[in-house]
Amino acid sequence: MAAFALRRLLEGLLVLLLVSAITFFLINLAPGGPSAAVSLEKTAAQREALYHQFGLDKPVPVRYLDWLGGVLRGDLGTSLNQGLPVSSLLEQRMWNTLQLALTTLVLTTLLGMGLGIAAALYKNRWPDHLISGVATLGMSIPGFWLGILAIIVFAVQLKLFPSSGIFSVGAEFSLLDRLRHLVLPAGVLAFTLMPNVVRVTRSALLEVMSSDYVRTARAKGVAERVVLLKHTLKNALVPVIAILGLITTVLFSGSVVIESVFGWAGLGRLAIEAANGRDYPVILGVTLVAGAVVVMVNFLVDLLYAAVDPRISHE
Amino acid sequence: MNKALSNPSAISTVSRSRFWIKVRSDPVGIGAFVVLCLLYLLALLGPLFYRISPESTDPLGVLVGPGPAHWLGTDELGRDVFSRLLYGGRVSLSVGLLSMLVGLLIGTVVGGAAGYFRGLEALLMRLVDVFMAIPTFFLLLVIVTVFGNSPLTVILTVGIGFWAQMARVIYAEFVKYRGLEFVEAMQALGASHLRIMVRHIFPQVLPQAIVLATLGVGWAILNEAALSYLGLGIQPPLASWGNMLQNAQVYLYSNPMLAVYPGLCIALTVLAFNTLGNALRDILSPRG
Amino acid sequence: MQLRWKFKPWLVLVLVGLLGGAAQAQDYDPNGSLTFATNADPTLNPWAPNAVVESNLINELIFEPLVRYNKKDLTPSPGLATSWKVAPDGLSWTFNLRKGVKWSDGKPFTADDVAFTYNNIALNKKLGATGGNLYAPLSKVEVIDPYTVRFVLNTPFSSLPYYLAYFTGILPKHILGDAENPLTLADFNKKNPVGTGPYKVAEFVSGSYVRLVKNDSYWGGPPKVASVVFKIVPDPNTQMAQLLGGELDMVTVTNPALLAGIERNPKLKLIRQNQNIYYFVALNQNDPRFKDVRVRQALLYAIDRKAIIDAVLKGYGEIATGPIAPLQKLFYRKDVPSYAFDPKKAQELLKQAGWVPGPDGVLTKDGKPLEIDMPTGQFGYLVPATLLVQQYWKAIGVKANVKVMEWNAYIQQMFVNRQYQATLAWWSTPPTPDVSPYYQSSSADKGQNIPNFKSAELDKLLEDGRKATSLRSQVLAYLQMQRFVAEQLPYLYLWYPDILTVRDDKIGGMVDLNQAVAFQYASEWFVKR
Repeated sequence: MAAFALRRLLEGLLVLLLVSAITFFLINLAPGGPSAAVSLEKTAAQREALYHQFGLDKPVPVRYLDWLGGVLRGDLGTSLNQGLPVSSLLEQRMWNTLQLALTTLVLTTLLGMGLGIAAALYKNRWPDHLISGVATLGMSIPGFWLGILAIIVFAVQLKLFPSSGIFSVGAEFSLLDRLRHLVLPAGVLAFTLMPNVVRVTRSALLEVMSSDYVRTARAKGVAERVVLLKHTLKNALVPVIAILGLITTVLFSGSVVIESVFGWAGLGRLAIEAANGRDYPVILGVTLVAGAVVVMVNFLVDLLYAAVDPRISHE
Repeated sequence: MNKALSNPSAISTVSRSRFWIKVRSDPVGIGAFVVLCLLYLLALLGPLFYRISPESTDPLGVLVGPGPAHWLGTDELGRDVFSRLLYGGRVSLSVGLLSMLVGLLIGTVVGGAAGYFRGLEALLMRLVDVFMAIPTFFLLLVIVTVFGNSPLTVILTVGIGFWAQMARVIYAEFVKYRGLEFVEAMQALGASHLRIMVRHIFPQVLPQAIVLATLGVGWAILNEAALSYLGLGIQPPLASWGNMLQNAQVYLYSNPMLAVYPGLCIALTVLAFNTLGNALRDILSPRG
Repeated sequence: MQLRWKFKPWLVLVLVGLLGGAAQAQDYDPNGSLTFATNADPTLNPWAPNAVVESNLINELIFEPLVRYNKKDLTPSPGLATSWKVAPDGLSWTFNLRKGVKWSDGKPFTADDVAFTYNNIALNKKLGATGGNLYAPLSKVEVIDPYTVRFVLNTPFSSLPYYLAYFTGILPKHILGDAENPLTLADFNKKNPVGTGPYKVAEFVSGSYVRLVKNDSYWGGPPKVASVVFKIVPDPNTQMAQLLGGELDMVTVTNPALLAGIERNPKLKLIRQNQNIYYFVALNQNDPRFKDVRVRQALLYAIDRKAIIDAVLKGYGEIATGPIAPLQKLFYRKDVPSYAFDPKKAQELLKQAGWVPGPDGVLTKDGKPLEIDMPTGQFGYLVPATLLVQQYWKAIGVKANVKVMEWNAYIQQMFVNRQYQATLAWWSTPPTPDVSPYYQSSSADKGQNIPNFKSAELDKLLEDGRKATSLRSQVLAYLQMQRFVAEQLPYLYLWYPDILTVRDDKIGGMVDLNQAVAFQYASEWFVKR
């Protein structure tokens, strides 16, 4: 076990190295430059001065090694367009993304699995059809579109929830205020992501429930609820874990679209702004964070696989 | 489950004989399939009969209501909305189908190889990690700014965004099978790896793959729309449902129908693909 | 409970009677707050290379220029300088500074700060300061005494006061003087800027908002609005939704189509403002085909600008005749060639220039079709406007190949590399007739002369304008300049758009004429009760 974890850790570091190198060279292929310099307001002379300031007059491989050296010393560099240390930008945005991601993840998991179990129990009866119908609808509407509609209905017309931001301007910390701001973005995200969990839970459960050992348990007169909890759920967890893992990576690399629609100052929006403004150090910083999350989540998912399904081993 | 797995050929014959019976007992699935056929036919053949250019602008006839000249009226530049829906459908529907195929192909090969060959497992799956870890947005930006926003590049980028996830699922399936008796027996009998993978394991994984692929088309169409929202999707003057929806945002209060039409087309198509995917899952699953 | 409700009207009446006079003197809410939107994290330093449109208005509340624009006609009027005089040879300007002005940290504002801002920042080429390029004629700023400075010029610069009023706040030497690069101090730019303006920063939450509070020691007296918040809302649709929902008090509408919802909120009113902005089509003069003035004129005749204004701008705009917009009442001349929509004339001119219809209807000359590469970027309504121009040109047999690009890549290709044949864009310039940075030959290829138009005659006219020492000679010089550009068309002038601002009715005391000016007089704003 420990050996497996250590191996994956080393592999993870290798993955991050590769990810940063690929991203660095790719993003330098994209035409353009930091928006502080590449703008209609800057003449060629100004641009040259700024490129020199930013160190962009050096060749790409040299710049990558410089950056890598910085990272090894714990310095992620300075944002070209914001003038702030990348680490402080990442820290701020990470927190915001974490709030949104965790809320959405909890919502998605609880609702998704709950509804999925209900649908499986009432297979082919009306609760199943209703749940499946709503779930299918949820995964059929573009997220940004749902977000805009939610803003119009709940923020503009009903004035129930704020349409953007993370907390009220200048207010003292208040959990209620934070939750009010979370309702729309987390709700929309959960509505679009949850259907996957419902589906997977339902079908995994059905598959396991029709398997021999569950039938045997039933035949022996074990109560339905006990069957469900003790025998079925655990075995149905593998695909559910897989889909939750996938959702987690999506949420943490920042749900770019929803963060934009709701003006949520998270990693996703930071990524967009950095990409649009060719803010190379920020792009790499976001990539590192997103990469670390993916590596970690995939590792955890593989561990969980092994824990719930003895057939999968990592020896 | 274990019994079925140890004797794979039994499932396929049973499934095959029961396939059509199950299909006939699923009117919703059939309905979804019919809707999809109609949508594809409409996009393919519609422009042959409704012969108004989707790109011809007319500043003097913008935002005109529905009428005999323009069945669904005109958009903010005086372009025919119905015609744009038809041509946009061609783009969106093919982006959906083709990018899913790209993702499916790469994902199955990589995921299958990683799941089957223990030696390749670490290498390939970490490669998958690498691709999952690079935010898709950056990849798209690079591809789009370097190669332009043609339908082909959008298909490739959406497909690339899809393959890593596909690979992880296929990998997980292959891992389940690789240690089973029948596989080991085949290997002992001297069957080639390729043959075992393609002839014996893949058919087991196929239902799962078909379902994922069907759902993947819907996902790809939604992704094209999201790309348009971020300004990286299919570019005007070429129409796609995604960019029509994106353009219509500013007319939400004055001309909501401009958003409703492409929104409905996307939702209907994705809904149909998802319904079909779910129906296929029920039909193709070994028990149920 | 019952009793109290019954008594309330009485109480109010009595109070109104007693305090009548006082209430009238102060019929605004002294604790009032205004919430505006900006589309990205601002940089709170007007000269920082990364401070552009998202930061400009916020910086006007924190920092002040030497000269402000007059609220009525945009002519230069006192800011941190109370008066100024140009030397008879036009080669130096003396500015008398306002006394008793304090930085928000309590230190006095003096001539040293002005000299520092211009000598060490604007003129320091290594910094790449935003707007630094506009001061090419400036040699240095000399301190004469703590309240007098002299701007020493290389060449005469009659429009200097106009430029001094254009987003060019004075920075504190005592804070930034020792910095290696005064434009990149994160603590100043993102947290604690020190200015002389009516507002100071209370809180800056990255990605969320900047909250400003009034500066009670402001030289013009304490501002009447207690706090001004700028929320960072990148999506213009969300901005509009927030305005309708009452979460924002003012929004500048970039796309007139978004106005359709505002009647849902009766407290909102639309204000049409002017700014020196004009949209144009630039024809790259490095392409020999466009060196023929007849081709340029024909391509403008072919465009129905009125129809585009009606369709894309919903009528909120006016056909442009040159780089000087009508809001510059002193200088704007309407009686110049205006190229009313006339496709026949366009074809005729092209025929004179040797372009004749080819087999597929596309004009050809020497066997080559008139095909034009026309890149455009995703910003505002550039794409739809470009598509309409494409259609009009198609009608006279000119084939434009439109390529829609991501914004940054577009700027790189069109502006930095000048790899385009035609493109539709806009200039937003200081409200001065001196448009040299956008037209002089020395700005071609490397500067803001986008079409790379090089003309000794135009250079001479622009220089005459800069040399003018009287208003009369200045007006005359720029009249000739406007005639020249209208005939020669270095840019194909399209329209002057209205700047559309939707405000909540509760905002009082805000200048309507122009947003930039409104923010220079922020201390006069109030929130109606």
